[in-house]
Amino acid sequence: MKIAVCVKHAVDETELKIDPSGRPQLTGAVGKMSTFDKNAVEEGLRLKTTHSGEVVVFTVGTADSKKTMKEALAMGADRGVIVLADPLEVDAARTAGMLAAAIKRGGPFDVVLCSEGSSDAYTGLVPPMLAEFLGMAYVGYARKVEVSGASARIGRSLEDSVEVVETPVPFVAAVVSEINEPRYPTLIQIMQASKKPLEELNGEQLAPAGDYKQASLVSMSAQPSSRKHVVIQGSPEEAAAKLVDALTKEGVLPK
Amino acid sequence: MAIYNAEHRRLMEMFYPSDNQEYSEVLSSLGTFMQKEILPVSPKLDTGEVPIMGPRKALFEQGMCRIPFPAKYGGLGLPFSVYANAVELLGTADASIALSIEIHNAVAEGLLRYGSEEQRKKYLQRIVSGKSLASFALTEPASGSDAGNMATTAERKGGDYIINGSKMFITNAGEADLYLVFAKTRRGPSCFIVEAPNPGLKFGGELGKLGMKGSKTSEVIFSDCRVPVEDHMGEEGKGADYAKEILHGARIVVAALNVGIAQIAYSKALAYTKARRAFGKSIAEFQLIREKIADMKTGISAGRLLYFYASKVKESGEDFSSEASQAKVFATEMSLRVCDHAIQIHGGYGYTTDDLHRHWRDARLLTIGEGTSEVLRMLIARRELARSL
Repeated sequence: MKIAVCVKHAVDETELKIDPSGRPQLTGAVGKMSTFDKNAVEEGLRLKTTHSGEVVVFTVGTADSKKTMKEALAMGADRGVIVLADPLEVDAARTAGMLAAAIKRGGPFDVVLCSEGSSDAYTGLVPPMLAEFLGMAYVGYARKVEVSGASARIGRSLEDSVEVVETPVPFVAAVVSEINEPRYPTLIQIMQASKKPLEELNGEQLAPAGDYKQASLVSMSAQPSSRKHVVIQGSPEEAAAKLVDALTKEGVLPK
Repeated sequence: MAIYNAEHRRLMEMFYPSDNQEYSEVLSSLGTFMQKEILPVSPKLDTGEVPIMGPRKALFEQGMCRIPFPAKYGGLGLPFSVYANAVELLGTADASIALSIEIHNAVAEGLLRYGSEEQRKKYLQRIVSGKSLASFALTEPASGSDAGNMATTAERKGGDYIINGSKMFITNAGEADLYLVFAKTRRGPSCFIVEAPNPGLKFGGELGKLGMKGSKTSEVIFSDCRVPVEDHMGEEGKGADYAKEILHGARIVVAALNVGIAQIAYSKALAYTKARRAFGKSIAEFQLIREKIADMKTGISAGRLLYFYASKVKESGEDFSSEASQAKVFATEMSLRVCDHAIQIHGGYGYTTDDLHRHWRDARLLTIGEGTSEVLRMLIARRELARSL
């Protein structure tokens, strides 16, 4: 089975600094593999364990994406392809177009896995567009993927229920975090990852923009949020009950 | 904040202009692992609700102990400072496990330096991979830094040595599979590898400690403990020199461990200063609190630079005993001050919250263990006076 996994070298939100005017400092910001992409890589590796074959990781990004690609390779992917383009300058459709071109070039693939959304932009647009460009079936919110011959059964996490769908192979699935627990690569695997093949392609040459028009980013700033400074008093038992009430009213805890 | 953060990364870039990326990848991955798997269980290691074996084994499996050893023995062949930095991260995540692993790796360092090729093949790979846990047995009930006065004896009888005596305050005692034991033969202090179980190897009860409660500490008792002659390490009579050299390296690591403890106490204090309000404003706005923040941060940065510098001198092959001791004296005393400030900043909550004062309790060990501050100051002064001649 040939499995493609799409990942993104996202901004590490835990280390993101905001300048005094409220703008995130994206230049020189530390990057990491987008959180749920690890679930997509893990699922690809599990499918490979069951069906044998190859796991190829794809990304659209700058040379900094190597860090994320090496992490995916350390987890166990066989090889990687970086489509060079600045993610801040290409929108979701261009990203999906470049990924589709790279996947077609290296294909055919039986399964294409993405995560439901990236941990920085979280548009969730790339996976369905990618399926469209590849001419494959698309299943979102995937929490369980079982491939059997020419079809696959996929469990989907919906708001209040789990739906099971059947799809022909090949297909694109966008996974949610419940699907698995991503493995930690060992330090030996991290060091060996540098020896695995990592190809770099030029995004513009691979998928020329042509007359495609996209909106461009003008500015980005953090949304100010005001704190309520609620003080809860009473014995620990009373205070805990009041806190649960308050959090429920705020929608933090389910009713 | 991530355990392995931008400050560590910048230091790696400065110290290793060409290879820092690989080192940072290793440390960043290890930091993420510690943040998710070790840090959350750390309070429960202190209270005894979670035993050390599980998280320590997980770190062994990640390859933490492999970092500074040659590939030939299962290591990753990375610089000593990468290993020291990893121990700093572990000191932040959990000081008890960091102590246990630091001692374990000190034994591996001893085997690498003074063991025969057969001994390295037989034991080193097992320690480096974490398949066997190691323990370092030097201190005795009546001798510590004056290791030359040890009372434990090893008498040659045929193809064996017979060891008698006892060792005190031994980390990993009772749990370890291998003990690096120092005992006097006719030629003076000598070094032996003792495999457990051994009918002549017994352990006292677990010692109650102020801190580092996750790690096991006991007396190790040798009662006609028979050790095959092949497990005598190095030359007879040179054991005290070996112990000294092994401990120089370990002191750099202990310095790193203390920077890690200081870092977690500082992070908690910093967050608290922003959250806690008094007299209608955040306590972070008070100058005397700001003074503490400034001193804590300065101490941590200085401690980190000192252990990095000592590591680099060690890597160069030059005598690093003074630099290692400077790093240890400074970092251990600094981390006590930082943890004390953290308690002070938290006020009554600092004094009554295990999850805060445990950092002070953990830090308190290391101005004593592995060379007291007093003895190390004597060493630094002696070395620097000799260098200046």
